[in-house]
Amino acid sequence: MNPLPNLFLADLGPELVLTPKTVREACQTVRRNREAWLTQLRTRQIAEIIGYTAEQWLDPHNGLRLRALAEAPAQIGVSSTTLARGLDHFFRQLTPENLEGLVAQDLGDTRRLDEFTGGPIELRTGRTAIARRPELLGHITAGNLPIPALQSITLGLLLRSAQFIKCASGASLLPRLFAHSLALTEPRIGSCLELAEWPRGASDLEEAFFSEVQCLTATGSDAMLEDVRRRVPLHIRFVGYGHRVSFAYVTSDMLTTYSVKRVIRDLASDVTAWNQLGCLSPHVVYLQDDGVHSPESIAEMLAEELARREIEDPRGDIPVAEAAAIASRRSIYQMRAGSSLDTVEKLKVDTAFRDMPGGVRIWESPGSTAWTVVYDNDPRFEFSCLNRFIYVKPVHQLAEVLRYAEPIRHQVSTVAVAALDHRLTDLARELARWGVARVCPVGRMQEPPLAWRHDGRPTLGDLIQWTDLESP
Amino acid sequence: MSQDFTALAARIAEFIRRSSSHASNEAQVDAESQFAALARDVFTAQFHANPAYQSLCRARHITPADAPHWTNIPAVPTEAFKDFELTCLPVAERTTEFRSSGTTVQRPSRHFHHPESLQLYRASALAGFEQHLLADLDDLFEAQLLGPLDKPAFLALTPPPESAPHSSLVHMLGAVIQVHGAKDSLFAGRVAADGTWELDMDRLLFALRRSMCANRPLVLMGTAFNVVHLLDAFEAGNIRYRLARGSRLMETGGYKGRSRELPRAALHAEVTRRFGLPPAAIVTEYGMSELSSQGYDRVATPVADGSPCPPIFQFPPWTRARVVSPETGLEVADGDRGIVEILDLANLWSVAAIRTSDEAIRRNGRFELLGRVAHAEPRGCSRMTA
Repeated sequence: MNPLPNLFLADLGPELVLTPKTVREACQTVRRNREAWLTQLRTRQIAEIIGYTAEQWLDPHNGLRLRALAEAPAQIGVSSTTLARGLDHFFRQLTPENLEGLVAQDLGDTRRLDEFTGGPIELRTGRTAIARRPELLGHITAGNLPIPALQSITLGLLLRSAQFIKCASGASLLPRLFAHSLALTEPRIGSCLELAEWPRGASDLEEAFFSEVQCLTATGSDAMLEDVRRRVPLHIRFVGYGHRVSFAYVTSDMLTTYSVKRVIRDLASDVTAWNQLGCLSPHVVYLQDDGVHSPESIAEMLAEELARREIEDPRGDIPVAEAAAIASRRSIYQMRAGSSLDTVEKLKVDTAFRDMPGGVRIWESPGSTAWTVVYDNDPRFEFSCLNRFIYVKPVHQLAEVLRYAEPIRHQVSTVAVAALDHRLTDLARELARWGVARVCPVGRMQEPPLAWRHDGRPTLGDLIQWTDLESP
Repeated sequence: MSQDFTALAARIAEFIRRSSSHASNEAQVDAESQFAALARDVFTAQFHANPAYQSLCRARHITPADAPHWTNIPAVPTEAFKDFELTCLPVAERTTEFRSSGTTVQRPSRHFHHPESLQLYRASALAGFEQHLLADLDDLFEAQLLGPLDKPAFLALTPPPESAPHSSLVHMLGAVIQVHGAKDSLFAGRVAADGTWELDMDRLLFALRRSMCANRPLVLMGTAFNVVHLLDAFEAGNIRYRLARGSRLMETGGYKGRSRELPRAALHAEVTRRFGLPPAAIVTEYGMSELSSQGYDRVATPVADGSPCPPIFQFPPWTRARVVSPETGLEVADGDRGIVEILDLANLWSVAAIRTSDEAIRRNGRFELLGRVAHAEPRGCSRMTA
């Protein structure tokens, strides 16, 4: 395939040696271009431009989409089927109506970004307000999955901010393709975006970058966020998204002969989506253990379903290190599965769960690490090796899950719940009290709606500041 | 049961002894079948005496009844040495416990020994060491760098065995010094109040100067971070020595955050610059607490200067290393990447077949080490919540 035209720094490839001066100048250029044009667009207009671009992405013959599906899967570590599904889900949501809806949800009114407006309560006290957008919005994106970076760019566009996106090393392809598609729709939008790639820790480049932005978002490990936060000047808004973990909880009401098949299919979808690499993918599936089917038999059914998925939608190759982690973890569970408990020091904990059925069982793809199901009656939360490696654990009730997940309480993003409708609100309330940011149905963990509150925060609301106008 | 092991230990020790002496081609063919037979017998013994290992083998559908070829014997991941007591020794018989060094937060791997198993450990470790670090002793006599009745002086940069009873490396260095070292050999490291290892610079400088004054070759031994500590001290004091001709260094990888980290090539270049040791005098050892044998990247020939060598390791004949695909468990093609898997006959009372966490490229029967695989830490993998 032909190389992309050189619109952005990241298009120039690794031969380009970035200097702080280049970074600073690039920031100033996009800010100038934004001032000249982007600021004059109204929310509806930008929403339509984004919506039109998204439609292009949904066209199976679109050149940039084909390119993404041909080149990106190997870099991300997912199959092209998985990537296509992820892109479709994301771009289908990018309609003008949904984008306006996001503004209305986070800011109270679709006009908030364009003029002074007020809700009924504000108007009663003679007030209106307008949302101030950052002139230059900076992003530091993570390397694992592409959608969050695309989402960040979309939010910045909605705010009509100039944007500088610092991509993780080797992960700029999809953000670049998205930026190119926006530039194809409207070249002037391309002139308000800049993308660059540099290795983490290039502090002189980062100093230059930080000194130019008004607002900075960053996605990555807690250590990385801590490091960035320390170096960002105090007057700059900093929004950090740390790595999160997620799990699923299925009540025994949903494990009846009638509904079990569907639950299994949905769980398998959550495990296979993005090969489990995102913060919203489940590490553990907790099953309530008083149903018709034993949790162990559900685990076995899930394994059968994952085997089927492997045929339809193979996981694909993963780096040696990640395959080695799976192989090593499998061996450890194979040893546990056949050992008496007292040879395993790890199990010398309280005996509360010793009455659980079964011990440890493991199902795995033969001759590869493509999928693994570990049934373990130790209900403590366990981090999965990901890449379609899932723990299934039996519990009596949700309170028990939360007790055993206590060590990761501050890290939890999403809990998928499968329960009968009348019980759902109670369970969600319990999860909210505990601190979960998002409760969703099983099967949809990796498909958050456009307007979801990332890590429990108003996504757009976190990027803006307000100017209040009090009428005389 | 214990007689089985004792008889096996004698056969393995004999195998080590014979493979250490120069052998004809016929003897090598013979050695191949002997290795395979020993591996099978060791597997059978371990299968029956080690329940955790037995369950792994059963899960893989490989039992002694299958009489597996040694390449099909199920390997235990080094990670498992943290969770399980992978030993055939009853609790009462265990006298020594080697542990992996690591950060204090992690649980260490544990490798249990008793007097008999330590004897086999020493036989294996010594034979490997001799082949790679002391193969040119005769040349030293010939060049009159050592007197006919002299032994070389050893300088270990680690603490002595009595201060580091759980370190397999220190145990090996102790055995080396005991057997091969001149009386003035010494351990120049000590354990600091916080448990970390540091250098006793006074003792160290004294030993270095004494060897230089007497123009006697010195054998330096330590971990990579020991060597960095030494280089840092020399840097601070702006010291540069030229060690006596015939001197050599054995360093073993791994920093684990105990010093600044230098890439291996830079470390070796620094050693050449600060101590005047030619590249052919610098040997990297590859070992771990879970094993009883060690790999080496070259045979020290300090009198010939040589050039730096890549980190391509080879084990002695009683230990076989293969680079396997973590996906299939099968050996990768030459030049391909995979994980190092080792079958160490001297690991008689624990588990002979070990799957390491080290990524490597297969190179013509040997392996080029790429480094420890980070088990996807940023994504939370391998972090237990316990």
